[in-house]
Amino acid sequence: MTQNTTAASAGAPAWECDQDLCMTCGICASACPVAGIDAYDPRRLVRMAALGRTRELVEARWPWICTMCGKCEQLCPMGVRIADMVRGIRSLRERDRVPGILHKGLAAALETGNNLRLPKEDYLFILEDVAGEIREEPGFEGFQVQIDRKGARILTTIHNKLVNTHTEDLKHWWKIFHAAGESWTVASENWEGTSWGYFTGDDAAMKVMAGRILEQMEALGIETLLWPE
Amino acid sequence: MTVFDLLIEYIRSGRIRIDRSRFPQLVTYHDPCNYGRKARMRFGHGYFEEPRWILDRCVERWVDLYPNRMHQTCCGGGGGTLTSGYNPERIHYGRRKIEQIRAVGAEMVAVPCHSCHAQLESIKETHGMEGLEVKYLWELVADALLPG
Repeated sequence: MTQNTTAASAGAPAWECDQDLCMTCGICASACPVAGIDAYDPRRLVRMAALGRTRELVEARWPWICTMCGKCEQLCPMGVRIADMVRGIRSLRERDRVPGILHKGLAAALETGNNLRLPKEDYLFILEDVAGEIREEPGFEGFQVQIDRKGARILTTIHNKLVNTHTEDLKHWWKIFHAAGESWTVASENWEGTSWGYFTGDDAAMKVMAGRILEQMEALGIETLLWPE
Repeated sequence: MTVFDLLIEYIRSGRIRIDRSRFPQLVTYHDPCNYGRKARMRFGHGYFEEPRWILDRCVERWVDLYPNRMHQTCCGGGGGTLTSGYNPERIHYGRRKIEQIRAVGAEMVAVPCHSCHAQLESIKETHGMEGLEVKYLWELVADALLPG
């Protein structure tokens, strides 16, 4: 597959101008796994954008049912960045009307450092509890969870569900680190690995979340980040 | 550094050793959009071969889904759809992925993505594959670690 290198790859956000490149061929609609839901498809979305029907797009459910999988734009002969357009449309929805818990979780993360508003004390308890379970397994008797360890080789983030409903899944990477004799650490604050601004079209929030991880790396003197989210 | 680069580094250098006989069942691999197609389109490299190299070292029998790599079908759990509340639409979206897994006869699917993992777990029963085991790629590695 070749990368599309039409004018669309220039600097302007997809939302501003890409719709003007559309030749209305409809290949995108043929490729789309959710074409037809609510009578929408990528071609219709791009055409509506070109015709200035922005408010209808912002109010529609469809841009939130689309997963921005990119099959449409992979095939677009004009290189229209359709997935980015969908994200741009999402960004125009009033924040308190973003569907589901997407913005609520993000707002919690911006305020408290994680999507769950999980207090530091509870978080640290969960980490140590899971570490204790790992020590009960043969071969892992000496396991220690490494928190805020200065000068470690690797900092890794944590997906909030791993300190919520899926604590068992914390163990996989930790066991691999132990077996490899890795020098690794997790942060005691701002440990959240998800960045829901990616989904809600909130670039400013994404910068805050990524910036916090960078701050952790600088404060702990760590050069390598493992970001499994 | 990506999860793939680190796992490959550990396996190549011998820092970890893996028991390939740990999982005798037929395994398949799902390419997440963001590690594959979108990484290729946005950053010039899709992580297609790295996870397959890792799978080769973790399991004795695995097969690719069809279609795969750049032509893979999204599982339906991407783009925040797991938390946007449109659940019937999301579950419907995922039917094709389960059909593809059923078509190759796999009993286990490995994924390197939290969203794909949650989606496949969430839809497998509705689409008639409640016995399907859904594993993180790094979970396969962790479960098959050999001591010392």
